Amino acid sequence: MKRVPLFVAIVLAAALASTGCTKKAEAPNEINLFAWSEYVPQGVIDGFTAETGIRVNYETYASNEEMLAKLVSGAQKYDLIQPSEYTIEALIKEQRLQLVDWAKVPNFKNIGQEFKNLPHDPRQLYSVPWMAGSVGIVVNTDKIKEPITGYNDVFQEKHSGRIVVLDDPREIVSWALATVGKGPNDVTPQTLEQVKPILARWLPLVKVYDSDSPKTALLNGDVDLGIVWSGEAALLYAENEKFQYVLPAEGAHQFLDSLAIPIDAPNPIGAMAFMNYILRPEVSRLISADFPYTNPNLEARKLLEEPELDNPASYPPGNPKLTGFSDIGDSAVAIDKLVTDLKAKG
Amino acid sequence: MKRVNTMLAAWTAATMLFLYLPIAILIGFSFNTSRLNIVWQGFTLEWYAAIWRDAVLVKSLENSLYIASVTTAISVVLGTAGAWLLYRYRFPGARMWQTLIFVPMLVPEVIMGVSLLIFFVVIHLELGFTSIVISHVTFCFPFVLVAVQARLAGLDPALEEAAMDLGATPVGAFRRVLVPYLMPAIISGALMSFTLSLDELIVTYFTASAGTRTLPLEIFGRVKKGLDPTLNAISTVFILFTAVLVVTTELLKRRGTSLASEPPQP
Amino acid sequence: MRQELTSFDGGTAIRQRRASPMAWLLAAPLFAWVVAFVVAPTLIMLVYSLCERGTLGGVVYHFTWENYAAVADPTYLNILVRSVVFSLVTTLACLVMGYPVAFYIGRAPEARRNLLLMLVMIPFWTSFLIRTYAWVTILKSEGLLNSVLLQVGMITQPFEMLYTPGAVILGLVYTFLPFMILPIYTSVEKLDNALIEAAFDLGAGPVRAFSKVIVPMTSPGITAGILLVFVPALGLYAVNDILGGGKVDMIGNIIENQFKGSARNWPFGAALGMTLVVAFAAALWYTGRRPRTA
Repeated sequence: MKRVPLFVAIVLAAALASTGCTKKAEAPNEINLFAWSEYVPQGVIDGFTAETGIRVNYETYASNEEMLAKLVSGAQKYDLIQPSEYTIEALIKEQRLQLVDWAKVPNFKNIGQEFKNLPHDPRQLYSVPWMAGSVGIVVNTDKIKEPITGYNDVFQEKHSGRIVVLDDPREIVSWALATVGKGPNDVTPQTLEQVKPILARWLPLVKVYDSDSPKTALLNGDVDLGIVWSGEAALLYAENEKFQYVLPAEGAHQFLDSLAIPIDAPNPIGAMAFMNYILRPEVSRLISADFPYTNPNLEARKLLEEPELDNPASYPPGNPKLTGFSDIGDSAVAIDKLVTDLKAKG
Repeated sequence: MKRVNTMLAAWTAATMLFLYLPIAILIGFSFNTSRLNIVWQGFTLEWYAAIWRDAVLVKSLENSLYIASVTTAISVVLGTAGAWLLYRYRFPGARMWQTLIFVPMLVPEVIMGVSLLIFFVVIHLELGFTSIVISHVTFCFPFVLVAVQARLAGLDPALEEAAMDLGATPVGAFRRVLVPYLMPAIISGALMSFTLSLDELIVTYFTASAGTRTLPLEIFGRVKKGLDPTLNAISTVFILFTAVLVVTTELLKRRGTSLASEPPQP
Repeated sequence: MRQELTSFDGGTAIRQRRASPMAWLLAAPLFAWVVAFVVAPTLIMLVYSLCERGTLGGVVYHFTWENYAAVADPTYLNILVRSVVFSLVTTLACLVMGYPVAFYIGRAPEARRNLLLMLVMIPFWTSFLIRTYAWVTILKSEGLLNSVLLQVGMITQPFEMLYTPGAVILGLVYTFLPFMILPIYTSVEKLDNALIEAAFDLGAGPVRAFSKVIVPMTSPGITAGILLVFVPALGLYAVNDILGGGKVDMIGNIIENQFKGSARNWPFGAALGMTLVVAFAAALWYTGRRPRTA
C-alpha cells in the first residue's frame, strides 16, 4: 500500500518536469550569448545588465565545431557567437552572419590596426575581435638546457617521450608545413604528401596529445616540452617561471576569437550594445585579468599591470611570424585521415 | 563457509579502497592552496568559501540534481514495467524491441546528442529541462530494464500465480508481489540511472539551453582555465552530505526496525 | 554467454502469455518511447551516414555510399578491433573484481545491503573529470603510487604508469565496476541461504560450490553485468584521452572527432556509429536466435 504514494510522486515529478520548466518568459530585452566556456567573466555580464537592463543568457561551448553543430541545427537562436578566425570565414561564406552597424559600436576604434581587416573578415564587416592568442612551444628550462627556437628543436630523438602536443590534426600539420616553408593554409594533396614523412618521424616522439589541458602533463613533470595554446603557457608561467614560452621561428598560428551576430539573431541591437560595452578599456581590462590572452584592445592594454604585460605568453616580445587559419573546406578531412593513420601506426 | 566469508569481506574492503582512493585525493586537493589542482602546495579552506560566491556553480549542481532525480523516477517506471511486460507477455517482434532498447547504451554519446538535437528541432521541442530529461531517460532506462530482467530470470511463476489466485488483477499482482520481489533490482537500476544522469556531459551539451547548464557542463568548461579546487570542494560537500544522509537513514531504520519497509531512495 | 543471453528476451519464461490488449496498453509508453527517442534519431543518423559532408557540419542531402567505403579502411578496422579488445579486457577485469563484492553485499545482513550498495555508488557522484585527474595524480611518474613503491623498495626508479594502455584499462575498470557489481548483486540477493549452505556442506569445496552451483544460478546477473560494462565501454573515449594521453585512438575518439574536430565530417561519423550499432545488434540477434533448449 505504501507504494502508491511513491508512484504518484513519480508521476507528479515527471509531469512537473514536462510542464513547469519549458515556459520561458518572453522578456523583450535579453540577448542570447553563445561563447567559449569561462571566456566571458561574470562581472562583465553583470555590469552590462546593470547598465543597460538587457539580460544576458550565457551558453557555452568548448570548440568551434561544437558551436557550429548547435548553431546550424537551429534549435536555439543566438544573438552573439564567439568563433575563431577560420570559423568566421566559413560562416561569412555561408552567409550566416549579419553586418555590424559600426555607428552603434563606436568603441571599435580601440582595437589595434593589426587586428583589423584580417583575411577572415577582410573588410571588417562582421566581427569584433575579442582576444587573440598563439600556439607555441613551452620549455621546462629546468630540464631542457639547450635553446629551443623552433619545431625541429622540439621533435628530436633525444626528447622522445618528453613531449605534449595539442590533440588537433590541423594544428599538428601546420607545424610540419611551417618547417618546409609553407603557410598553415597551404594545404593541398602535394603539401600533405610532402609533410607526411616529417610527421611520421615526429608523432612517435610524442608522449601526450591533449587539447583540453596540456598544462597538466607539463606541471606533473611527465613531459618537458609542449606545443600548446598561449593561454596554457601563460598559466604555466604564472605557476612557475621555469616554463618559458617560445614562438617557433618557422612561424606560428595566431588565432583570433571574435564576436559576431548570426543572421537570424532576434536582438541584434542588444548584441551590438554588448559589443560596444566590452570594447570599453575598463571592461576589456577585466577580461584580460581573467584570461591571459593577447588583448587586441590597445586602450585596455594601457590599463594592464607590469606582470601581465611581461608574461611572454600573452604579449610575446620581438616580431614573431604569425598567421591565422583560413577555412580549408574539404582538405580538413584529408588532414584528419593523415594524422589518424600516422597515429595508428605509431 | 566462515573462511569464505572473511575472504569475501577482505576482497570487498580492498575494492572499496580502490573505489575511494581517487576520492581521497579529490578531497585532499580541495584543501590545496594551488589553484591548478595538480601539485600540493599548502592547506587552505578558501575553496569552501569560494563555493558560496560561485552562484553559477551552485545553480548547475541544483540543475544536475533535479535532472538526475526526474530522470531516475521515469527510468525506473519505464524500465521496470518494460522488463516485466517483455518477460510476462509474448509481443510480436519482442527480440527486435529488446535489441532496440540496447541501442542507446551502445551509440556513442556524441551521435546520440547530435541526433536527438536534430530530432528535437524537427518536433519543435524547445531545449531545456524536458529535452535533457528525455535524452537522459533514453540512455538510463535500459540499465534499469537489464537489471530487472536479470532478477526476473528464473522467477518462480508460482509467486505471481499465488497472488493472482488471491484475486488480484495482473497489475495488482505486479504491485503487491512483484515490486517487492524486484526491489533490489529496482534500487540497483535507480542508482545506476541517477549516477549516469548526474555525470553525463556530451548528450547534455547538445540538449541543454542557457538556463539549464548542468554541473558536468560547468566543470568541463573550466578545464581550460584549470580545474580549480572549488570543484573539488563542491564535490566533497556533496558526497559527504550524501554519506551522512545515507548513514543516518540507515541508523534510523535500524532503530525503528519493522516500521521501515521502504528502502531508501537515492 | 550465448545461453545466458536467451534469458533476456524472455525466452526462458515458461508461462509467457500472448499479449492481451491490456498488456499492449501497459507497454505502449515503452514502445512509444523507443520509437520516438531511439528509432527516430537512429534513422536520422542512418540518413546522415548516406549523405555528403556539409561545410559547417551537418550534411548535404546528396546520396553516397562513400562514407561506408571509408569505414572499411584498414586503419579504422584496426581501431575498432582494438576498442573491442580493450572493452573485453575491461569487462573481464570488472567481473573478476566485482563478482566477490556483489556476492558479499548480496549475502550481507539485509539491513546493511543498501548501505553497501550506496557505498559502491557514491564515489561516482563526483565529477568524472576530477575523479580521472585524481588518477593522474596517483599514477604520474612523481605521483602517489610511485612514491609509495619507491618507499617500500619495490622499485628503484619511477615506473611508467600514466599514459600507457594499462592506465586506460585501469580507468575503464574504475569507471564501470559498479555497473558490474549492481546487476550481479540483484541475482545473488535472491539465492536461497539453505542452498548455498548445502553447496558448501556437500564437501565440494568452495571453488566447486561456486563454479557448479552459485555461478550458474547467478548467470542472469553476470550476463546483465557483462552487457552493462562491455557495451558502454566500447564507445567511451574520455578515459583514453586523459589516462592514455590520446596516443592511441579508440573508435569513440574517431567518431567524436568527426563531430567536434576540425574535419566536421558528420556523415562519416554517422557511418562509423551505424556500423557499430548494426554489428552489435546483429551479434545480439544471432545469440538470441539460438535454439532454446531449456
